[in-house]
Amino acid sequence: MTTEFTTADLDPVTVEVMRHRLEGIANEMQATLLRSSFSPIVKEGLDASAGLFTADGQTLAQSCSIPIHLATLIPAVGRILRDFPPATMQPDDTYLLNDPYCGGTHLPDIAIVQPVFAGGRIIAFSAAMTHHQDMGGLSAGSVPTNATEIFQEGLRLPPLKFRDRGVVNATLEAIIRQNVRIPDTVMGDIHAQVSACSIGARRLAELAEKQGGNALTALFAELLDRSERMTRLALAGIPDGTWRAVDWLDNDGVELDKPIRIEVAVTIKGDAIHIDFTGTSPQVRGPLNCVPSGSLAAACFAVRALTDPRIPTNGGCFRPISLHLPEGTLVNPRAPAPVNARTSTIKRITGTILAAMAEVLPDRVPAPSAGQMVIVAFGGKRADGTPFVTGDLIAGGSGAARGADGVDVIETDATNCMNLPAEAAEMETPIRLNRVALRPGSGGDGEYRGGLGTIREYEALVDEVSFTHRSERHFSAAGGLFGGAPGAMARSVIHRSDGTQEVIPSKIVTRLQKGDRVVIETAGGGGYGEPGRRAAAAREADARDGKT
Amino acid sequence: MQGADLTARGYQFGIDIGGTFTDVVCRAPDGSIRLTKVATSRADPSRAVLAALETAGADWGVPAAAIARFAHGTTVATNAVLERKGARIGLIATEGFRDVLEIGRQMRHQMYDLVLRPETPGFLAPGRYRREVRERLDASGQVLVPLEEEEARRAVRELLDQGVQAIAVCLLFSFLNPAHEQRIAEIVAEMSPGLPVSLSSAVDPAFREYERTCATGFDAYVKPLVADYLANLESGLARAGVGATLQVMQSRGGLTAAGVARQRPVRLFLSGPAGGVVGGLAVGLSAGYRDLITVDVGGTSCDIALVSDGRPLIRAEGLIDGFPVRVPMVDVTAIGSGGGSLAWIDAAGTLRVGPDSAGSEPGPACYGRGGTRATVTDASVALGYIDPARFAGGSMRLDPALAEAALRREVAEPLGMDPARAALGIHRVLNAQMAEAIKLVSIGRGIDPRGYALLPLGGAGPLHGCALAEELGISTIIVPPHPGVLAAAGLLGAPVEHEVAGAFPHPCAGLDSALLQPALAALDDRCAALMAEERLPAGTDVQVGHSADLCYIGQSYWLEVPLDFSAADPVGAAYQAFLAAHDRVYGHAPPLPAKFVNLRTVHRAGGGSAAGGATRAGAAPPPTTRPIRVRQHPDPVPAAIWQRAAIGPQHRIPGPAIIEQVDTTTLVEPGWTASLAPDGAALLLRRDAA
Repeated sequence: MTTEFTTADLDPVTVEVMRHRLEGIANEMQATLLRSSFSPIVKEGLDASAGLFTADGQTLAQSCSIPIHLATLIPAVGRILRDFPPATMQPDDTYLLNDPYCGGTHLPDIAIVQPVFAGGRIIAFSAAMTHHQDMGGLSAGSVPTNATEIFQEGLRLPPLKFRDRGVVNATLEAIIRQNVRIPDTVMGDIHAQVSACSIGARRLAELAEKQGGNALTALFAELLDRSERMTRLALAGIPDGTWRAVDWLDNDGVELDKPIRIEVAVTIKGDAIHIDFTGTSPQVRGPLNCVPSGSLAAACFAVRALTDPRIPTNGGCFRPISLHLPEGTLVNPRAPAPVNARTSTIKRITGTILAAMAEVLPDRVPAPSAGQMVIVAFGGKRADGTPFVTGDLIAGGSGAARGADGVDVIETDATNCMNLPAEAAEMETPIRLNRVALRPGSGGDGEYRGGLGTIREYEALVDEVSFTHRSERHFSAAGGLFGGAPGAMARSVIHRSDGTQEVIPSKIVTRLQKGDRVVIETAGGGGYGEPGRRAAAAREADARDGKT
Repeated sequence: MQGADLTARGYQFGIDIGGTFTDVVCRAPDGSIRLTKVATSRADPSRAVLAALETAGADWGVPAAAIARFAHGTTVATNAVLERKGARIGLIATEGFRDVLEIGRQMRHQMYDLVLRPETPGFLAPGRYRREVRERLDASGQVLVPLEEEEARRAVRELLDQGVQAIAVCLLFSFLNPAHEQRIAEIVAEMSPGLPVSLSSAVDPAFREYERTCATGFDAYVKPLVADYLANLESGLARAGVGATLQVMQSRGGLTAAGVARQRPVRLFLSGPAGGVVGGLAVGLSAGYRDLITVDVGGTSCDIALVSDGRPLIRAEGLIDGFPVRVPMVDVTAIGSGGGSLAWIDAAGTLRVGPDSAGSEPGPACYGRGGTRATVTDASVALGYIDPARFAGGSMRLDPALAEAALRREVAEPLGMDPARAALGIHRVLNAQMAEAIKLVSIGRGIDPRGYALLPLGGAGPLHGCALAEELGISTIIVPPHPGVLAAAGLLGAPVEHEVAGAFPHPCAGLDSALLQPALAALDDRCAALMAEERLPAGTDVQVGHSADLCYIGQSYWLEVPLDFSAADPVGAAYQAFLAAHDRVYGHAPPLPAKFVNLRTVHRAGGGSAAGGATRAGAAPPPTTRPIRVRQHPDPVPAAIWQRAAIGPQHRIPGPAIIEQVDTTTLVEPGWTASLAPDGAALLLRRDAA
């Protein structure tokens, strides 16, 4: 078999052909991961990703279904490399970790890393991360809103060897099994991750056999350099300067009266971007803290969204990014601060970085979106005594942009989850939806109107239903841009069957009795431009279609 | 399967209307095939059909009265959506749920776009055309709140006053109990007799209200247009003296009479591609292959479909213009790469191909219609694969100088390479993209492509077949006799088919198999009623197949498995079949409790190998030679240039060679050998595998 290229011959065609092969391998890893996982959160929430990394831990090709995964494997691979010298690694060794203070994100996310050998040396790593359905701890699902220490959030796994030359570490497996509520599902999903990494390692080794390991590693370097070059060129097209923005999270779920400040100063200098989080709240008691990989994921999303979308995504794109994350703050907490709810934080960080850039890129950046993903969970017993658990994820409206109204009820920024059909909820559980509607008037007014939030009304059909509600935007609105008005704030109310009402302060854990109803109204997106400039026809259409 | 010939002796016509060309295939009683292409008349596509009939009469001497079958693939429903030209419709929903259509599932498709576009088809019925009525069923189909008929009347009255041309009704849990929806249909019929109504309990009787609302809304949206179109066509055929029933291809790959098609127009969105898949299946079967990957490379996109064990893969839900349509359809995946894809150099100096396309206007540079940018087709011309004088049977003369100039300016010079190498590079990049897409489609469905045969289709497909096959580890390529008109040819090989499904939410555990029979009998009655409208010849053999959708309890994605009533325990057999399917598709199958979701019946009549058959062999010139460029050699190599019609069963054509025919060009790369299969398909085998 002739090789397609040599080290000296990295022509612009071969580079592109090989990029497709590498992305094909990452896609095959991801398909394997999704296909062979057990849990609904992977099958339907797509909360998993897989990719290839260079021997020194840079992203080579990654397939991820939600942006929050963009950068989350980088610290994991880096930490494995630090704790286990590559010289000691063998083919079919597999490493894992989940501890956010040792390269992880939050405890449900387990990273699996496997070296790829060619010609007796490591040329790359394959890695996969999955959000597991349970990791033990205070509550089923391992995302307790009232945790005040990471120890309550579940089993902490530092960097460990899970397989030694293909043989599973039985001690480690037994410890994991003993500490989680659904051991078969968790182990099934871990093995799906191992399968994905093994497929990736095998395919890449096959490629190396054909092309030569040296040629391949030279190509990796070239691919990263090219994406770096293009990203830097795109960043250089943005005027130099520093832009600031502040936004808020409602509270940390424990201290309900304390809003959490997120402040960023984004500096474009030449072909680089620096984001300084000075001014952001100190770390909080509740689980909204976010380890640095979360802010990196947010920054990577912003860079990717603000530069040319045709730039192949790999570690080269991330090289021009630097972050200042003051220690002991929300974005760089000290152990043992709890972190399980960091998704809300990453969403708000992403929105705040984009909001800072709106001033310098007014054509590209929309007004702030609701940027909220309400998580509700119901659990209890059906009338026949069998247990049930169900949940819903609810979005708000997106911000308006120059030339376009915001979109009603749509996932934005770092997440991309589906809501629960009313029919699915009522068929599976004693929870009935009485209403699923657009929320009229919730979009921020402006020349272009913000997207609408939604109204969902749930009713408990049995007594003693445990109910968790974790939301945002109850106390701070998605702001308008260039004269546009802010979107409406979110609001959630429990209507007890005796006629009393309880307003939910953004986050709550409580019980519902038969006939109790919960009405959730999500926030609208911000408006763009002076309301006086809105076209009369657009206003009339909004009125006729019931949007205002 | 060779089904009964449904038609009396006579000429059979398959007519597929595409965006640019209307393809016509005519099979004479002696089995010989004639082909023609006429320009599609966008304003009224039925005109092209009637023009084709005139051609048949004038050029082929086929009298209208001798036409025994008229099968049609249409894009009329698809275009109505793409161009937003459907009817003004009203939507009636359960109180509290009128906005479901616009809210959808809240996911976005473009993850990194900052300025978002709506992901739901709110245009079907903007807020002003949506009404709620007080009524509610519970999750077992029992009435919680009776239908408020006065409110329903008021809603219908208001919508009629607003001038709606059709009404869609989607009430919660109507798939378990259609009574309220049916009552609303009666009210509409009383108030406005003849107004088209689409009920969700009839269009898509399955749970998840958003997806069901979309399917129902699209059905109503295209119904008036499809009805008018088919009526025009039928009366045109009648005027021309054609007595045969007009048959239309449905998305699932089966034909139906026009009268039935207009009742369920939402099932026509993949009418054209389904013809292609069925045509490919027929060609593959007659060449002796039951596992196939079809790759239809057109101008702007490439359609990938799989045939497994002699049956096209069917998906339960697809997309139209990015919106969900939950009706069964052939599982076709489109990627944005094709002959018109533009080559460009990115900011880091890497050669990229697509996704932007030159389209058909201005088209590739070599078309000479003002296109200046280099496309894949320009590369094919520069490499010597396409003879500029014989493109599309010589109907269009290409200018190789324009192709070369575009390649030189846009690709070769910026990259510092000669144009031939640049052209090879464009092909390599496109082939890598298509190969990875095929891998993802097959592996993602639990299928290893290496055991499959590749069927390259479309005008450009067979140029890329060898390169794709090598990247996929495939050693057999089948080029159909008429790959450019396969969708039309497929129409003649398709069965008449109807599918009816109904919700059947029961756990497997403790389910009495005796409960299945009456539920299926009710579905069979409805299916048989549709079949009766086909007016098939007396004694036509109708095959009935029963299947069920099963899922693990607690999971929301399901798998279809056949039902076997000859088994001692049909429910248990279905559960075992579900586990096997789950293992194949998802890689594991724990013995956890599962449940039935839907039951389905499919009635099928006829179908066979009508797509095959050689064109009447004309006097074809012997092979010539011209230099071409191939990726395996640094310098031009002499290639034998064959005319397809000149190839006989005795020939073995080693690559490098080119096979030319009216509707496509086949590249036989070094290492491959082409020969003729008995049914007229060209078979390309890798030499080390041959």
